[in-house]
Amino acid sequence: MDCKTAHDLLPLYFDGELDRATGREFEAHLDECADCRAALIELDALRRTLREDAPRYIAPETLRARIQKHTVTRDVPASSRLAPRRWLALAASWAIAFAAGGALMTTWNHASNSGYAQSQLTRDLFVSHWRALAATSPVDVVSTDQHTVKPWFAGKIAIAPVVQDFADQGYALIGGRIDYVGNERVPVLVYRHGKHLIDVFVLPQTITAAIDKPIQSQGYVLDVVNLGGQPAAIVSDMGQAELAQFTGLLSASR
Amino acid sequence: MSPADNQAFVDDLALRHLDAAYSLGRWLLGNEQDAADAVHDAYLRAARASGTYAGGNARAWWLAIVRNCCLARLAIRNKEKRNVPIDKDPVIAERWMPQTDLDDVEDRVDSAKRQRLITRRLQSLPENFREVLILREIEELSYREIADVLQTPIGTVMSRLARGRALLQKALADHATAQAPYGL
Repeated sequence: MDCKTAHDLLPLYFDGELDRATGREFEAHLDECADCRAALIELDALRRTLREDAPRYIAPETLRARIQKHTVTRDVPASSRLAPRRWLALAASWAIAFAAGGALMTTWNHASNSGYAQSQLTRDLFVSHWRALAATSPVDVVSTDQHTVKPWFAGKIAIAPVVQDFADQGYALIGGRIDYVGNERVPVLVYRHGKHLIDVFVLPQTITAAIDKPIQSQGYVLDVVNLGGQPAAIVSDMGQAELAQFTGLLSASR
Repeated sequence: MSPADNQAFVDDLALRHLDAAYSLGRWLLGNEQDAADAVHDAYLRAARASGTYAGGNARAWWLAIVRNCCLARLAIRNKEKRNVPIDKDPVIAERWMPQTDLDDVEDRVDSAKRQRLITRRLQSLPENFREVLILREIEELSYREIADVLQTPIGTVMSRLARGRALLQKALADHATAQAPYGL
């Protein structure tokens, strides 16, 4: 690699936006070029100055309160604002009787529907994981490099998942694939922890995974986590403690 | 997604990334009141537009709305030629944790000085270089995310980032040489 090319690539390398192969070529150049090393050190010094000395502004409590006020007022049911006049009371009581009956039916319907959707969802996730285990390879793009896995999804799917490798913590990224959950195509990030294979399904906002505690099925566990603002479901055969640790890593990534 | 789910999604998103939003507003608008108002506008706008969120990085989507609200305020300010207080001394209790050791006083004055210097240098950069530096170096967004926030191609992000870094490096270096005689 000549110095001109290296110079152009320098900020990309510094910002972690180079793919691994080019990164290695760049590092080879760096070993023999003092100018590029100096430029890299300068970039790093600037970053350090900005991170350490530039004030980090924290949102004032008043702003948080202003926004929270909206979220709270919305929760007040509309019915509490109604004050029917007395002469309307009789008519109203009939109307209410009808409405209440209707509402009850709707709620009941809705509850059983969403319960069905939930079990369908967890079923899809488990089955997809098992199918992947049975296949020759659980991944479509094999890479331990988050900068390869993320762009691979970019051409194929509307969701851009947060991809991070946790090899240092014992959860190595081994690749990704695309799978179906319901009738949605979703990205799946595949990690390995010891002998355990872990699938992380990044779900679209349209699928709400209302799972408040891990679900078990035939020795496999399913749990949900927030991955950079998006719901994601983890499926694997890890133990509770390992799963909790991995969940922690994922929810801290962004 | 139902309207209620959309709403919950925006509430959660806004509150989770409130500091990032406020910080961006503060750097773009230069004072507390305008930054807080812009973030509040952004929240209302995001709540109305939640149906248009089409997947992808949610934080970038939210920061893009915050930025647009800030730019709208800047445009009004420029049109009215209003004199707006820009933080003169952004040094801020926010960062000063109470410390008991008296020996630290000097350190703290020093760090306050450095903060003032870097803030002034950043504020004097043109806004499109400033915002890209803040998003990359302080908020640690990737090129793709920055491109989503600024709604520009990645190439533009890269060239602005390079130019912004060079300008800031130069400004800080100039300051260092100017200061040297007093420092000795």
